[in-house]
Amino acid sequence: MLTANFPWLTTIILFPIAASLLIPILPDKDGKTVRWYSLIVGLIDFALIVYAFYTQYNFSDPGLQLVESYPWVPQLDLNWSLGADGLSMPLILLTGFITTLAILAAWPVTFKPRLFYFLMLVMFGGQIAVFAVQDMLLFFLSWELELVPIYFLLSIWGGKKRLYAATKFILYTAGGSLFILVAGLAMAFYGDTVTFDFRALAAKDFPLNFQLWVYTGFLIAYAVKLPIIPLHTWLPDAHGEATAPVHMLLAGILLKMGGYALIRMNAEMLPAAHATVAPALVILGVVNIIYAALTSFAQRNLKRKIAYSSISHMGFVLIGIASFTDLGLSGAVLQMVSHGLIGASLFFLVGATYDRTHTLMLDEMGGVGKQMPKIFSMFTACSLASLALPGMSGFVAELMVFVGFATSDAYSLTFRIIVVGLAAIGVILTPIYLLSMLREIFYGPENKELTSHEVLVDAEPREVFIIASLLVPIIGIGFYPKLLTQIYDSKTQQLTARLRDQVPTLAHQQVEPIAQAWGDVRQAPALR
Amino acid sequence: MEPIYQYAWLIPVLPLAGAMLVGLGLISFNKDVNRLRKVNSILIVSLIGAAMTLSFGLLWSQIQGHAPYNQSFEWASAGDFHLSMGYVIDPLSSLMLVIVTTVAFLVMVYTDGYMAHDSGYVRFYAYLSLFSSSMLGLVISPNLVQVYIFWELVGMCSYLLIGFWFYRKAAADACQKAFVTNRVGDFGLLLGILGLYWSTRSFEFDVIGDRLQDLVATGSMSGFVAGLFAILVFLGPVAKSAQFPLHVWLPDAMEGPTPISALIHAATMVAAGVFLIARMFPMFEGVPASMDVIAWTGAFTAFLGASIAITQNDIKKGLAYSTMSQLGYMVMAMGVGAYSAGLFHLMTHAYFKAMLFLGSGSVIHGMEEVVGHDPVYAQDMRMMGGLRKYMPMTAITFLIGTLAISGIPPFAGFWSKDEILGASFAANPVLWAIGYLTAGATAFYMFRMYFSTFEGQFRGTNATVKQTLKNEQLQKMGLAFGPGAMNPKELTMDTAIGEAVDPGHDDHGHHAEKPHESPWTMTLPLLILAVPSTLVGLVGTPFGNYFEAFIHAPGEAVHLAAEAEGLSEFYVMAGSSVGISLIGITLASLMYLRGKIDPSAIAAKIPFLYNLSLNKWYFDEIYDELFVRGSRRLARQVLEVDSKVVDGVVNLAGLATLLSGEGLKYFENGRAQFYALIIFVAVLGLVIFSGAT
Repeated sequence: MLTANFPWLTTIILFPIAASLLIPILPDKDGKTVRWYSLIVGLIDFALIVYAFYTQYNFSDPGLQLVESYPWVPQLDLNWSLGADGLSMPLILLTGFITTLAILAAWPVTFKPRLFYFLMLVMFGGQIAVFAVQDMLLFFLSWELELVPIYFLLSIWGGKKRLYAATKFILYTAGGSLFILVAGLAMAFYGDTVTFDFRALAAKDFPLNFQLWVYTGFLIAYAVKLPIIPLHTWLPDAHGEATAPVHMLLAGILLKMGGYALIRMNAEMLPAAHATVAPALVILGVVNIIYAALTSFAQRNLKRKIAYSSISHMGFVLIGIASFTDLGLSGAVLQMVSHGLIGASLFFLVGATYDRTHTLMLDEMGGVGKQMPKIFSMFTACSLASLALPGMSGFVAELMVFVGFATSDAYSLTFRIIVVGLAAIGVILTPIYLLSMLREIFYGPENKELTSHEVLVDAEPREVFIIASLLVPIIGIGFYPKLLTQIYDSKTQQLTARLRDQVPTLAHQQVEPIAQAWGDVRQAPALR
Repeated sequence: MEPIYQYAWLIPVLPLAGAMLVGLGLISFNKDVNRLRKVNSILIVSLIGAAMTLSFGLLWSQIQGHAPYNQSFEWASAGDFHLSMGYVIDPLSSLMLVIVTTVAFLVMVYTDGYMAHDSGYVRFYAYLSLFSSSMLGLVISPNLVQVYIFWELVGMCSYLLIGFWFYRKAAADACQKAFVTNRVGDFGLLLGILGLYWSTRSFEFDVIGDRLQDLVATGSMSGFVAGLFAILVFLGPVAKSAQFPLHVWLPDAMEGPTPISALIHAATMVAAGVFLIARMFPMFEGVPASMDVIAWTGAFTAFLGASIAITQNDIKKGLAYSTMSQLGYMVMAMGVGAYSAGLFHLMTHAYFKAMLFLGSGSVIHGMEEVVGHDPVYAQDMRMMGGLRKYMPMTAITFLIGTLAISGIPPFAGFWSKDEILGASFAANPVLWAIGYLTAGATAFYMFRMYFSTFEGQFRGTNATVKQTLKNEQLQKMGLAFGPGAMNPKELTMDTAIGEAVDPGHDDHGHHAEKPHESPWTMTLPLLILAVPSTLVGLVGTPFGNYFEAFIHAPGEAVHLAAEAEGLSEFYVMAGSSVGISLIGITLASLMYLRGKIDPSAIAAKIPFLYNLSLNKWYFDEIYDELFVRGSRRLARQVLEVDSKVVDGVVNLAGLATLLSGEGLKYFENGRAQFYALIIFVAVLGLVIFSGAT
């Protein structure tokens, strides 16, 4: 019945949006029907994603799959053009998974539940659209579409400074997206043919100078989203004010859009510019890792602390994208998925802790582990995942980026030594701030002042279930990374090959001395 | 014998399964699982018992001369990069398997008695099982990446177990210190692995060694770079095996329950560093400069540990510094190329040190009946004395351990330590001299410990001693608040020390007058461990070194027995080291048994040296100032820059009028939606407009 021609992606995107339109007319007296309705819609959509992935997606095909294209506004040459390749698929799966869990995490929301769940379902569709569209204009539209619900989710349900945070967020991101529009239009109109289609754009042959301009435009927009220092300051504010479910979306999915778009547009469509700018990306990545880790260490506000840790982890994505190796790029994609899972779990736990202590300041906590052992152990597990403990996904991602970059022949030896050495300092800094955080919240003697006016109840089954669902893939990927990497391996290999053609030193096959010598040694029969 | 090799993967998987089963139970049905104490502990102990049986089978098969067995599967790949995981069973790994499983098994039996009154009994077993699994995975790793993975996992277990009593502030600080210090070492190890992979394109131990030597020999890689990589890799063992300068975490790690001090921080995990050096031996051997660094680091650590252990009053801290010192011996042995001597000492030390720690746990357990569950009193040797009368089994096993570590023949420690000293004399007499002096100091501080714990009069009910300890404790806390912040005596005892008391134990409310011998679950492991502590050294005597015949560096020629001149040299060396041990013992007995020499008078004569030793050479203070405070200061400055400069500039540059000054008021009035809407509409308009043209 369901053939390959079925419009899978369209259904997946439009189903939650259409379902959200029914929310205002749902009969709902006690406010409980809406959340069940949304959860079921989320589950159905996630099931659709998994089914489409399972039946229609071919691992070994590096090209676009599940392709659909319908003319939408022919006058504008706007096509409803969707598709998923190795880059999109893992992120679409992640989005379905995290958003469904976020709906479950939003169970205690009692203030304006109809509007809240309506926005959540719109987000569901909008986010997937960003990862699935294959048309520049459509990409821009869905990029903007997903901003509106998140703006309202921030400004209505956030903390005390929510309006400031939400406005800062929208100004930064909307300001950044203007660059997408300009750069995208420039690319579309360049040359003889006008086209918005990703594949057609990637096939166009732009001169280097033009590429560099467009590249910079995209980079600014995605640097805001990822974020890259110094365009990151909206993030601690937004994350500091958001409620737990919104937080899960922000950290789990929205940040990944920046990384995804960097690979999709900057690297794939503008490879020559990428070869020129890549060293700068590496440096920015290192700055992200160290700078954000240090800021996180000094932060006394729990949510902001984790927010900065997200920025720090995104540095590895940048280094991986700029590594010009299969392994590095693969690690970058893995780091995005892994951080999506880990970031969402940490932010959910921060929310759960806040629900009990009613404070985010570390100085006002202390010793709560005694009364909340389950939250304590879940928090410990997720923090260990975040500090890249082996056996968890974060470790594999970071290791792949490290090995990929260290063995990259696109950079000089000195540059690599400095970068790897500095990035590895992050390996020391991350446990310092995460373990200090755990110590200040849970360890030590109980803070009498806190326990005197707050009732500290341990985690309820719903919360344990959410964290367990997140930990299963984290540990699963950590134990056997091929689970995930095989989904996109063929795509990253193809992309790396394309990128390496653009690096002058690699194109001329100037193998560096050591590798050269090694080539000789490898042929020595004694060492076989 | 093949099936036993095919199922060797069960050895780490069995305890892992146990840990996961119990862990899941604890999370899902906390109350019920906690009630079923014995069911959980019996399950976990029998799983490790099964792993132990398998390990013995493998060791036996390896001794029979079975070829090494290797099994692997592809774990990660990207492009032409392939990384496999698996397991390798060779003499070294089969020996390590037996050491780890036997010690773990006995420690787990012992735990039943030691943790009987603790509310976290089941959780403790789950952690122990998880640790055993990680440690077993480490020793059978066929490549460096797998070693690194399990290396970190044992570190994590150590973190969880040191912080087991998380409501104690000292434990909370100690577990973080341990993890972070180990991460510093892992940082080096990771960089070293990356460097080695870059230059040799391999993660396999022997392949790396071969290719690296080849690269240096052909001159395509400078010896300096090779040395740098080797030393980076060595940083891992420096942290894990508590070598100078990353040794500071080990003594603090004694805040964890005593069974884990025995298992993790004496017998197995801290020896992982020596194990890694042994695994990477072909690589280190090819870089002579790194061997020198290893040897001198080990020698200095051996001396440093012993010099601090001499003045410690906390029985566990004393043993911790002794562990550090003994690990120094092993590392020194590796550095001078005495591969099998180092591993031989690893084996003997694992047994006798585990026994000593378990013995100290038994003592603490007994003391707690008298002085309550407070580590300040229960672990201080000044409160003990005369315990032999009350705890005869503990006393006799502790004495055996003390004799073994002091290097008195025929106990195990004598043979292994002597082999190390002999090898280091051949390499460099200065190294030998350091090791030789340390051996004397070892005998002194170990007998000081034995005499003040088990001999003389019981001081546990002596009020003056108790008051001294209280004051010392308060002074320490007073210092923590800042010098001169308050007069220590003004602090009330209840608030200051009361916090340290462990609420997890159900205090029986009544204190006994006299300590009692521990239950059989605790004494039986002690008695069993006494057997290898006494006899295991006999497999490696110079008259017939079966140990070296079994375990030797790859490509090394082996002679079962030393030749005649070697033997006479052995008699000279052994005689002199037994001699200095006897001097140490005599001194200790004069000071602490017979009271002929007053130790405090000597301390008063050399206050500088005494304080240096008592304050652990001030390493903690120096590191605290340099690294802890330094990094905090740096972090605060970066945050300052972030919130003032970066945020400020970015805001000003684009949005000065909107976000600063008056603009903010509009947003707080709720007009933000309006602004956002304008932007959104404008953007949409732009799309349509630009699309139309």
